[in-house]
Amino acid sequence: MSIIEVKHLYKEFKIPKRQEGLAGALRSLFHRQYLTKLAVNDISFSIDSGEMVGYIGPNGAGKSTTIKMLTGILVPSSGDIRVNGLIPYKERQRNARQIGVVFGQRSQLWWDLPTIESFELLKQVFQIPADRYRQNMVRFRKILDLDEFLHTPVRQLSLGQRMRADIAAALLHDPKIIFLDEPTIGLDVVAKERMRSFIREINQDRGVTVILTTHDMSDIEKLCQRMILIDNGQVMYDGELAKIKETFGKTRILIVDLEEDIVDFSLAGVEVIKQEGNRHWLKFNRDTITASQLISRISENYNVRDISIQDPEIEVLIRNIYENTLPLIID
Amino acid sequence: MIKTYRMYWEFTRKSFQRSAAYRVDSWSRVLGNVMSLGIWGCIWFALYYGKGSVENISFHSMLSYILISMALQGIHNAGTPLWEIQRRVRTGDIAIELLRPYDYPLRMLFTDLGSMSFYFITAIFPLYTLIFIFFQPNIPLSASQWGLFLLSAVLGYLIRYSLELTFGLFTFWLVETGGVEDIFYFSISLFSGSVVPLWFFPDWLASIASLLPFQGIYFVPNAIFVGELSGQAILPALLNQVIWLLICYGLLRFVWAKASQKVVVQGG
Ligand SMILES: Nc1ncnc2c1ncn2[C@@H]1O[C@H](COP(=O)(O)OP(=O)(O)O)[C@@H](O)[C@H]1O
Ligand SMILES: [Mg+2]
Repeated sequence: MSIIEVKHLYKEFKIPKRQEGLAGALRSLFHRQYLTKLAVNDISFSIDSGEMVGYIGPNGAGKSTTIKMLTGILVPSSGDIRVNGLIPYKERQRNARQIGVVFGQRSQLWWDLPTIESFELLKQVFQIPADRYRQNMVRFRKILDLDEFLHTPVRQLSLGQRMRADIAAALLHDPKIIFLDEPTIGLDVVAKERMRSFIREINQDRGVTVILTTHDMSDIEKLCQRMILIDNGQVMYDGELAKIKETFGKTRILIVDLEEDIVDFSLAGVEVIKQEGNRHWLKFNRDTITASQLISRISENYNVRDISIQDPEIEVLIRNIYENTLPLIID
Repeated sequence: MIKTYRMYWEFTRKSFQRSAAYRVDSWSRVLGNVMSLGIWGCIWFALYYGKGSVENISFHSMLSYILISMALQGIHNAGTPLWEIQRRVRTGDIAIELLRPYDYPLRMLFTDLGSMSFYFITAIFPLYTLIFIFFQPNIPLSASQWGLFLLSAVLGYLIRYSLELTFGLFTFWLVETGGVEDIFYFSISLFSGSVVPLWFFPDWLASIASLLPFQGIYFVPNAIFVGELSGQAILPALLNQVIWLLICYGLLRFVWAKASQKVVVQGG
């Protein structure tokens, strides 16, 4: 059952054009010129209840703009959006009760209040029953380690702490859907990993539908089965991560450590992309030569110390797709 | 209903607590308030020097007027100022409020109520009690005069709140917001009777002021307080305040409805 429906969504921004000089400034008082920017250009998708979807694309692709329309704080230029049956911008307050939102670059907590006070305020705002609030707090304190900063004002929290507090705040009222806009931005590796495992947990344990935007591919790789890839306001790919790897990931990289240092791999479909001492990185195409064929050819001629195969990196795949620039249809 | 009311009330409580955490702010505001009281007291003293009364207003009434006016202004100034509303619009902080199941203008009103009552209880009330004991100004002499003054002061504050938020929301449509700010502060310092009562305005200016909502903010409650506005004359003045409040609040709702469709959140 789909919980989010987006059909032919457009969002156009009008940006006032700065005119040069005094004459320009005067002219702009009477006749302002605008540049229009099509941030979202005919996007459609639907998301089922309980799914975890990665909404990804480079900076400026239109991710945040889409999320803002889904949460109701931005009005679409045209197109249809239904979030659990509601039209977000028309029924903002009702929609707010069923969704949770985290913007990585903007806290929604009350800046000067100790973190716990923000939570208590939210309890009143969402009229969360006392026992439900208590249960959720016990849980979030544990898995998000909130205790270390519960009494610190939000403005004094580190980025990682603030993000954890924001996520807890977004989930306190048991929303059906949660939107996370760049939840790992600016976090260090440990904090990122922790955030990911928490997101996974709420999706799996509570069946919360998660829509997560990021430009960090490893977020997607670790979290989402499905990804919607956008660029220039258009959907480039919508489907399983595994499938994109299979279709575009025909190239693999074989890393071999040899006894010898002077070698010559002039084989069809094989390319040396890097060499460090006795270690060689060989890129090969699965269609031309299989891994086992390649390995046996190498071991015929050289003494192999160690060998490993690398999966194609998701970043590389995505770059391939972007370079094609046309929307992809893979079935 | 009760639950909704409790939710807004929670904002009042939290903002009261927060004010307590920012006492330094409070003290610097007191200092500013006392300074402008001193300045205006001196100016009026100089203007009255050697005269018993001006336009039938005695110096004693005028002193009373400026004292109650400064006390009211002190309370108002603990609310959210125009530039802060403009900042919220510009940075998109205000848009985040749309993600909550409450009405933003109302929640801001209740929040301001918290900081204003903190400031009133801890600063304005004790300070002005002392000042009043010292200067012995005119104060309301009957319970009904007190009641009418309080009613008028509340209406005045609500008019100010509606106007200030409306002016702040204009930021949604403007690239340059300095002009709006200037107009607002100019109007409120001149037409509201904050430091110069409307009695002393030349006729043409007084008739402009009487057609504007600002006089309901300070002039009417001040005049009731010092007893210059009394008896039969009070009712039309209060009615005028109520009508302006309805108009300003209606305007605020209209502008808010338009603005929240036009929300632009920078960044993210
Ligand atoms: N409020 C705005 N006014 C004008 N242009 C905007 C506004 N918000 C976003 N844009 C433009 O729309 C495009 C998409 O932005 P955004 O959705 O924030 O991208 P992403 O989140 O994918 O990085 C960008 O080119 C951005 O400059
Ligand atoms: Mg973004």
